[in-house]
Formats: sequence, structure tokens, C-alpha cells
Amino acid sequence: MDCEQALAQVFEFIDHELDPHRHEALQAHLHTCKSCFSRAEFERRLKQKLNKLREQSSPDAQARIEKLIKSL
Amino acid sequence: MPVDKQSFEKQVLAVLGSLHGVARRLCGNEAEAEDLVSEAITRAWRSRDDLADPAAFRAWLFRILHNTFVSERRRAHYAHEIAIQLEDEGDEEPRFSLFEQMHQPFLLWFSNPEQEFLDKLLREDLERALAALPEHYRVVVALSDLEELTYAEIATTLEIPIGTVRSRLARARSALQKSLWECARAYGLSPALPGASPDNEKRTLP
Repeated sequence: MDCEQALAQVFEFIDHELDPHRHEALQAHLHTCKSCFSRAEFERRLKQKLNKLREQSSPDAQARIEKLIKSL
Repeated sequence: MPVDKQSFEKQVLAVLGSLHGVARRLCGNEAEAEDLVSEAITRAWRSRDDLADPAAFRAWLFRILHNTFVSERRRAHYAHEIAIQLEDEGDEEPRFSLFEQMHQPFLLWFSNPEQEFLDKLLREDLERALAALPEHYRVVVALSDLEELTYAEIATTLEIPIGTVRSRLARARSALQKSLWECARAYGLSPALPGASPDNEKRTLP
């Protein structure tokens, strides 16, 4: 696998959407290529930061929805 | 298999935070998001017999949420949908990569401007960049990166092929990173010039 092929799959890699064979091949490339490894690590960290924007529902919101469902 | 109200409620409450999160990203304000979630849950209960696979409850409910949002703007949505479809089918355009803008390979052993930027990136910066995305990009990033739906679940939610999920998500991330690049420049962060010291003060935030 060359760098162009690796970078074309980097999003699927960090999203855990590659099949086992392609995942293993990309991972092998990342073990040997510092530049592609840095890119994958950057994308993974950016995704992690976005994930922290995720919200939890408040107890009030839950109570309102429970009331709504009971009324249906 | 008929869905009883108790198990419906349990499944809804398990994903309620995510529903609110995506609704807020779609509507842009809390009040409309709450109304949207309530309406989606009501519609889901009424069409509960349409759920073929109980394991797909989450994606099915998100699909109802998204369709409810879209149907409440039907006239604007039609023109908008055509524009999105043309974009999805369009030629590959160069993708913007924040990493490529900031990465300096010859400094690899001394400094790491792109990782430093991530260290300094504030929650508000990300919220702002996400809110600035066009809706069809914003929702796919929210579903994937915030709510961690799989590509198959996102395809079900948005009623698009998995291939389109893949390409739209790549474009959305490119647009988000372009927005974050403007943020990095506003902070005075920029790629190091050749021979620059690793302690370059230009990289510190105000």
C-alpha cells in the first residue's frame, strides 16, 4: 500500500468502517510511515474533540418525554 | 412483533440525549429542537409497526427525526435537495486538509504545529465551526462524530446510499477543517518557516 492509497482510506479507518483485511493493510502501512501515521492520529484526535460536544439529556427533558409518551 | 409502550419509552430515553443533540444541530435553537424531538417521538409511536428490525431502533428513530425536520420545510427542502444531490454526484474537488496546511515534515522531530493546534482548540471554536456548516454537512458530522452512528445507520437515517455517506462525510470534514483553519489563522497559528525555532511565539494563543 502506498501513501496515496492509505490517505484515501484514513477516514474509514478512524470510523472503524474498513473490513478486517483492509484495516490490517492500512495499519501495517501506518506502522512504517510516520507521515501517514501523523495524519491518521490528527484526524482521530479531531474526531475525539468533536465527540466531546455530544450532549446528555437533562432530567427535565427526560421527564417531559416520559409525560409525552404516557399521553400517546 | 408489537412494541409495548414501556419498552418504547425505555428505548427512547436511552437515545434522548443524542436525539436532542442532533435536533439542536438541525434547528439551531433549543426551543425548536425540543418541539422537533417531541414530534418525532409522537410520529415514531404512531408508526411503531413499521419497525422491521428492533435492533435498528436507533437509526429508525433518527430517520423519523430527520424526515420530520425536512417535511416541516418541504418547499425549501425540494430545491435544497436537488442542490445536495448535484453536489454528491459532482466531480471530486480538492479536499481541504488542516493537517496538510499545518504539517511541516522537516520539523517532525522538533515540533508538531497541527497537534499543538488541537491542544489549544476550544470547545467554542468547534461549536462555531460546526454551526457554520451547511445543514447537510452539519447533520452527517453530528451523526458520525458526535453520536457515533455507523455508516449503515447514517445511510438509514438520511435515506441515502452508504457510498454517499462516505463521500458526504469526507466533504463535510473538509469544510469543517477549512473553517478551523480560519480559526487557527485568527489565533496567529501558522506553519513554521524553515529553520524556525520550536519555541516560536507566534503559536501561542492570546
